[in-house]
Amino acid sequence: MTVIHGRELTSDVDLDVDAVVIGTGAGGAIALREIARSGAHVVALEEGGHHTTAEFNQREEQMLPILFQDLGGRTTDDLAIRVLQGRGVGGSTIHNTNLCKRIPDEILALWRDRHRVKGAGPDELRPRFEQIEKELSVTEIPAAMRNANNEVLRRGVEKLGWRGGPLKHNRVGCQMSGFCELGCAYNAKQNALKVVLPQALEAGASLYSDVRVRAIAHHGGFVSGVEGVALGARGEEIRKVTIRARLVVLAGSAVGSAALALASGLPDPHQQLGKKLRMHPGAVVAGVFDRELTSVYGVPQSYECTELLSFEEGSKKRIWIVTAFAHPIATAASMSGFGAAHMRSMRDYGKLAVLTAMLHDDTAGQVMLTSDGRPRIRYSLSSDDREQLAKGVVACARILFAAGAREVVVPAVPPVRLRAASELDQLDTSFVRPHGVPLTAVHPMGTLRMGEDPTAAVVKSTGEHHGVRGLFVADGSLFPTSLGGPPQIGIYAMALHLAPHMVAALKTTR
Amino acid sequence: MLTFASALENKPHAVGRRRFILGAVLLAGGAALAAVRTSGYDVPEARAATLLALSPWQLVVVEHAARRICAPDRDDDPSIPTADDVDVAGFVDLYVARLPDELRTDVLALFGYVEHVAPLRVGLASRFTRLPPEDQDRVLAAMESSSVDLLRGGFAGLKSLAFMGYYRDPRTWKILGYAGPWVGRPAKGWW
Repeated sequence: MTVIHGRELTSDVDLDVDAVVIGTGAGGAIALREIARSGAHVVALEEGGHHTTAEFNQREEQMLPILFQDLGGRTTDDLAIRVLQGRGVGGSTIHNTNLCKRIPDEILALWRDRHRVKGAGPDELRPRFEQIEKELSVTEIPAAMRNANNEVLRRGVEKLGWRGGPLKHNRVGCQMSGFCELGCAYNAKQNALKVVLPQALEAGASLYSDVRVRAIAHHGGFVSGVEGVALGARGEEIRKVTIRARLVVLAGSAVGSAALALASGLPDPHQQLGKKLRMHPGAVVAGVFDRELTSVYGVPQSYECTELLSFEEGSKKRIWIVTAFAHPIATAASMSGFGAAHMRSMRDYGKLAVLTAMLHDDTAGQVMLTSDGRPRIRYSLSSDDREQLAKGVVACARILFAAGAREVVVPAVPPVRLRAASELDQLDTSFVRPHGVPLTAVHPMGTLRMGEDPTAAVVKSTGEHHGVRGLFVADGSLFPTSLGGPPQIGIYAMALHLAPHMVAALKTTR
Repeated sequence: MLTFASALENKPHAVGRRRFILGAVLLAGGAALAAVRTSGYDVPEARAATLLALSPWQLVVVEHAARRICAPDRDDDPSIPTADDVDVAGFVDLYVARLPDELRTDVLALFGYVEHVAPLRVGLASRFTRLPPEDQDRVLAAMESSSVDLLRGGFAGLKSLAFMGYYRDPRTWKILGYAGPWVGRPAKGWW
């Protein structure tokens, strides 16, 4: 796969093409491929670098800054929630843990019935899910590949008689190292980088890495191209990139796409742009066991607990529980305290199993712009959502005790240390709140929502902007609500679903 | 007609709560800030010349904070590396240098807060770097449990930086029983 590295450009770029795709994660990669296969001249621009298997060295301090926005340090505006978002050719599919779940039928029906999303119901999307799952070799992780942390989750769930089960992943040739979130050193991820983008380039697409798009050009209700800059090795702007095109596909994530749309002054008569951001914020709970688990190695997130998860509107069960074990740096940052007491806790590293209660959130956050044009994320957890999260934390603790943990620790300040499940009955969970416990979000969604009602949605059900012809969206920002599960397969499938509309638009726009 | 240039000029700006509150906190310590001195920090010239983002006094603040955040749990065990042994502050300099401008400004403001304002909040009229270790711990603990959410968030950021600098070093992994990566490749794309 030949990628043009923006950092190596020796002159400005000035192109006339049919289409430009901004972002090369799950949605952008599919859009690029499908447009290229239609015979159109299409170029993709990716802000991050082009990193390959040979570079993924399983070192946190080196991979986090390369593969994540803001060097892994992105947070909400109030610093309460860490927002881990990928950057680089392949987007977040480089660092995700390969989880593959379809958008639940109930959610798709909700979008159809309440958010006026037309033509993307369960029946319409099913073939798209089937297609992408086949393309990415999605299979259930067998019990033999489950690591100790996931076995703890399974054991606890089964002992409690709760609902749970194995998860599907897109991995082939997995070595079970457990370093998935730092990029796969074994090229086992069947992701955008390995599968979809090479197909797009083979079909005639071009791809520039290290190019930051600064504005989408539009005039008279039509899109006309993009303007950006190529970034040098240290992020400095080294070249101008100007591309004129009849079709622009925005696929830079619910944060990046919204920020770029704001920076471009897209028409937004009903003030919907950047709003209703959902993120699936999660809180972790650790169980200390008597024996070594070495949870850090092996296939992560291969089992789930859905006891507290249902998708009907207004549900009071909105917690999805999976494992959340991390490498040393992320673990150290998440544990309470500092100094000698912290190091004493870290000595239990090998005996820890960690679960996360991930919220199928209803809170409406917002993406805005900083003074230098970068995304600013506002997200103030609603009281209902806080309550859900607290229930999730308690549920995680119950699972860990049921699985045999001798101690359960919630990394609050000060840490909440529990010795028996019975203590949970009396537990005051008011500490479960932003700034009370570390919260992390990895699934931004919903800032450029789809739907037929232009007063409530930013783009149509076809993915095309309500006010700018030829401008399409193809990432998680399309989703009108939270999913309650990992979004990657939903994003791939939705982009596949929308791609024919993009191709058709190329034939009809000026 | 909306052009590239006009689109950029007309972009909506937000008044950042984070910057607003950080600024307010810093102003609240106005007396201390007025007396901020950046002299009296002992950093060898050769070391100062290598710094990418931190000024010498900021380096010293990070060194002091990292020593407390990464303090060993066994004083009599020389096999536990100190924050200085693994050059946590040097790593933080490298990391901060690569941050986007606004984020870097926030982080550097945080170091100023730790040095000049945070001690005042626990009744200590001294720079952080001149306090004995037990008082430095008090200052950091007060930040960690502050009723001001932004200060808690700031402390979490400081802690993350320090631990990233500390636990990146293979010498610290034996504390955890962590066997490390499975591959031994040199890094590309990092420095």
